[in-house]
Amino acid sequence: MEPDPVQLEWRQRSLNQTRLAFGQALQCLAGRDDRTVVISADTQDLLGIRSFRAAFPDRFIELGIAEQNAIGVASGLATTGMRPYVCAYAPFITARSMEQVRNDVAYARQRVVIGAAASGITLGVAGGTHHALEDIALMRCLPNMTVVVPADVEEAYFATLATQDIDGPVYMRLGGRVEEPSVSHVDGDFQVGKAVRLRDGNDVAIIACGALVAMAVQASDALRKSGIDARVINMHTIKPLDEDAILEAAADTGRIVTAEEHRLTGGLGGAVAELLSTRLPTRMHMIGMPDEFGIVGPTPEVRARYGLSTEAIVHACESVLGRGDGYDPGAR
Amino acid sequence: MNSDKGNARLLDVLEDRARQVRRDVWRALRAGGSGHAGGSCSAADLLAALYFHRLNVRPDDPDWPDRDRFVLSKGHANAALVSVLVRAGFVPESLLDSFYAFESPFGMHPDIKMAGVEMCTGALGHGLPIGVGMALGSRLRQQSFHTFVLLGDGELHEGSNWEAAMAASHYRLGRLTAIVDCNRIAQSGPVSELMSIEPLAAKWQAFGWSVVEIDGHDMNEIVTALDSVPCEEDRPTAILAHTVKGKGVSFAEDTHVWHSNAVDDETYAKALRELEN
Repeated sequence: MEPDPVQLEWRQRSLNQTRLAFGQALQCLAGRDDRTVVISADTQDLLGIRSFRAAFPDRFIELGIAEQNAIGVASGLATTGMRPYVCAYAPFITARSMEQVRNDVAYARQRVVIGAAASGITLGVAGGTHHALEDIALMRCLPNMTVVVPADVEEAYFATLATQDIDGPVYMRLGGRVEEPSVSHVDGDFQVGKAVRLRDGNDVAIIACGALVAMAVQASDALRKSGIDARVINMHTIKPLDEDAILEAAADTGRIVTAEEHRLTGGLGGAVAELLSTRLPTRMHMIGMPDEFGIVGPTPEVRARYGLSTEAIVHACESVLGRGDGYDPGAR
Repeated sequence: MNSDKGNARLLDVLEDRARQVRRDVWRALRAGGSGHAGGSCSAADLLAALYFHRLNVRPDDPDWPDRDRFVLSKGHANAALVSVLVRAGFVPESLLDSFYAFESPFGMHPDIKMAGVEMCTGALGHGLPIGVGMALGSRLRQQSFHTFVLLGDGELHEGSNWEAAMAASHYRLGRLTAIVDCNRIAQSGPVSELMSIEPLAAKWQAFGWSVVEIDGHDMNEIVTALDSVPCEEDRPTAILAHTVKGKGVSFAEDTHVWHSNAVDDETYAKALRELEN
């Protein structure tokens, strides 16, 4: 069968970067719904929305480097029935304009979608001021908020399209200028709040989000060679959390490893621990950024430095199974 | 206005409404045991003129898409807003006695769930960005409603206001009007001592806005200003309304003590005596 040219186009333009897939999806949404409006905070290249601007100039609003205003304006637009998508830097749109997100969007329950690029340490070389390692915690503690962390361009694209059916505010956590390998195989069928099992296994379950999903799959494949069957769950939606998938994994395996590009405080691991500690206490190991600010460096190396790697996930799984060599991926 | 006589009658009616707002504010504060008398009463004349003269709204259809939008950015003046919503017929009068009550929709700050309230405000520096969004939405949806945002002068310390001011003139939002209730006093003392905002008119002008300065207690000046916006078709307008904090009750006027204060039965009786004269 001939490939669909529209499909081909967004894939090619996304360059395996979730931030760009979000921008491509906005064009599709704008074609479907004339209430779609895009807000830029001097982020036209960051989210690849110059082509959106060219195609829908009337529905493109550049607001400059002013995140607080961007969120307030989005809220005001939403009250008039428009469907705003705010394109922004994850570290700034969450921390700097947190009060606007909380009051104007979450509390006021306005249907605003925040596309937050450069999350985690995808701007590794930019240093700690530009790493977004607490954004999941900030966003998921807000009532009414949906928090989605796509693992690759397919998931970013189809998750963004799926926001069309979400009535309240959404935080879409996107990467930076880092290519993420294709792992989700979402193929058009993205369901908000429904985790996806990518590998079967009953010895241990790895629950991951974002860039760590591909590493989790690689870790599972490596572990299988040494006789360990590690289930892999792509927890693309942090809120609402797919509690059933987590409880089932805990019941089936008794051992959970979480993996995320976020500080260990309050992220995916925290969400899983909150659930399991009260419902089904389970031995856990959490992979994520320790309680410190990140160093400067290329993203893959900085990730590895803090134990965000396939090897670290393998060791964590062996460790919770009591089969490890005592290696602690978090220790340096 | 058709005639001087008609104008005089309108002003009489609006002044009467403003007195009612002040009585309602004190009534609510007594019910709640305390509240923001100062900033509510400085804004009473402005709110009366907006709701009983200028705003095109439908109390029996509060979500009518073409309605004019009003955002009370200085949300601590909620008692004055709820008064005009009551008197306009959006919500029942009994609400005035539920101020601060358990599970009441009438708390210290506006609640978007209450009929006629456009946004939950009160954290300062939020209303103007939201108003910019509403004005942009009006344009995108090819509607012609006007958006008014009422701000405090102390509130202008918040930088987000100036981000929004920049955006409003950049996008030539003629159908956006900011009204600043310049009562000169914030919670701790005079605005000028806390952090000077002068020259205020020049600031708005420098941000690309038309500026009108009025006496915020002179109903004729208020009505004239509200009727004149937009001053220029492709520019937002800032109405700087010079007011007296706590206006109408001598012991509450022009003092930060009455930014927010306790109100017992005796205090209420004293206030009401002045407002009934």
